[in-house]
Amino acid sequence: MGIAAIDVGAIAQAASTGLLLGGIYALSALGLSLVLGVMRLVNLVHGEVTVLGAYLGLLALSTFGLDPLLALPLVFVVVGLAALPVHRLVLAPLAGRGEEAALLTTFALAVIMQNLYIQWFTGDTRAITRPYSRSTIEVLGLRLPGVYLMGFAISLGCTIAVYALMTRSGFGRRLRAGAEDPMAAGVVGVDVGRVHAQTFALGAGLAAMGGVLLGLAFSFTPTSGTAFLLVGFAIVVVGGLGSVAGTFIGGTMLGVLQSLGALMFGDGYRGFIGLVLFLLVLALRPNGLFGRTAAT
Amino acid sequence: MTSSPPLVLDDPATADRRRSPLGRELAILAAVAACLFLMPYVVDDYALQVGYLILQLAALATAWNLLAGYTGLVSLGSAAFVGIGTYTMAMLDERAAPVWFAIIAAGVVAAVFAAVVSPAMFRLRGLYFTIGTLALAEALRMWMVNARTFNGAAGIYLTGRPPAFYQLYWLVLVAAIGATAVVVVILRRPLALRLNAVRDDEDVAAEMGVRVFRAKLVAFAVSGSLMGIIGAVQALNTRVVVPNGAFGLTWTVNIVLVALIGGLGTRTGPWIGAVFAILLQESLRGYPEIHLAITGAVLLLVIRFAPSGIGGAMADGRRRLARVWRTRS
Repeated sequence: MGIAAIDVGAIAQAASTGLLLGGIYALSALGLSLVLGVMRLVNLVHGEVTVLGAYLGLLALSTFGLDPLLALPLVFVVVGLAALPVHRLVLAPLAGRGEEAALLTTFALAVIMQNLYIQWFTGDTRAITRPYSRSTIEVLGLRLPGVYLMGFAISLGCTIAVYALMTRSGFGRRLRAGAEDPMAAGVVGVDVGRVHAQTFALGAGLAAMGGVLLGLAFSFTPTSGTAFLLVGFAIVVVGGLGSVAGTFIGGTMLGVLQSLGALMFGDGYRGFIGLVLFLLVLALRPNGLFGRTAAT
Repeated sequence: MTSSPPLVLDDPATADRRRSPLGRELAILAAVAACLFLMPYVVDDYALQVGYLILQLAALATAWNLLAGYTGLVSLGSAAFVGIGTYTMAMLDERAAPVWFAIIAAGVVAAVFAAVVSPAMFRLRGLYFTIGTLALAEALRMWMVNARTFNGAAGIYLTGRPPAFYQLYWLVLVAAIGATAVVVVILRRPLALRLNAVRDDEDVAAEMGVRVFRAKLVAFAVSGSLMGIIGAVQALNTRVVVPNGAFGLTWTVNIVLVALIGGLGTRTGPWIGAVFAILLQESLRGYPEIHLAITGAVLLLVIRFAPSGIGGAMADGRRRLARVWRTRS
């Protein structure tokens, strides 16, 4: 490259910002990973649910004056509950019809939601701006955006909570059993259909919370869902399917690589680098991805 | 991962394979082509525009149907092939190549692209192929937006002498009829059995001696080159070629909507779907979002209640009616 001297400071700055951003990405990706690992569902509407979270964060602020970060639990509950009837009415009846029918149904849902957003919110680019959006905190000589630090911490906290849910609760046991072997789980009395409904709701709730954080960190449009979805898939593939801890680590790895890539080639290549990484991992070790299923 | 079961189990196109000879089918196609060829002399400009859109989507959905319906490769990467065709036309226009040459070249370049990415893409099975193709097409779009090579997001203007609109209509008519003829002919060849075997169970097909990679590649390349040709004609129509339009996800979304609503794995399905989608679009002019949301809702209902699409449901109805007729007389 034509760079005269390698600027260590700039690299450290980009890497640490990328790390924080990747942690924020990971929250939405966690929902995608759970749904894929447990339900074997490539959920193409996941990006639109993430965008829904961003719009809800915006509405919480503009309509109720509620800080989006304080509205996070509310967004999680509302979107999670709204996902239950969608699963019941639209996805559950397709059980036994193969993976493609469910995949294409989520495709149809994504088309519907994306166009409803344009109808309701116009195609304008939005961003959730708060007083803390522009503040930076200096750590070890690095200037880190405060909103990134908060988003990272919240995402990490939620990931730990989901990990505890998976490993310590009855729901987690049933979920892991259903993911490992749905037939055997059914035989020993696990209501697999119910586990799937709960997983879908959990996935949607996590996506929406991730969307609030992304809305605070970035600007978004009604069609941002596809980009969020692809980033999510990249993280899932890098971090290992269905692995809670792996998803968070995969997210931070992707974030660091994207930011370093943006530093080297220009900011426009951020998304491109994520997709190339995704395709490389997918093409080089496709079998390694299908092996791991247990959500631990 | 076990390979996923096919979306369409009963394939009407292969089911009534013995009923009508190939010659008769091609004759019907030729008759339809002749009628549609005369349209510019009969209808007004607006109707011709609508006709162009219908034929464009019918050709694209037919190409996608060969891949998804007959071979079981559900691709979300169609925009890549359309975009490659569009840019091939733009680049050759800059070099003052004849239009017919540029259109053929667009098909060839798109097929070559399919061949180049196939070793990586075909390692992905089932659902992973679907996300892989989506990622590939989006990566290509982002690269085209950022790279200077093809003038980035600003795009390229076509400077050659623009063809009249009725000529564009004829070009897209030839593409749509040609795509359907390709599918009709393939369905009569042993290749169709290999494609269907790959769709129904890749592993079993391989055990039976089907060269799976080669069968998939033929479907991927033929389908891709048809999409590339449509992209080239579209470049002649828009005159300005930009990455977000040529490689836009809208292509992929429309193709999937039309092919599935019309009926996967049927020859007439893509045409029925294209007519349905474009007429709905034209009746909701000025409300493109509502049109797309309704089309998405129709797709939801079709997947749930009529998995072989409107075309398949109509064929079913016809067969049932014929059975009732026979038992009565």
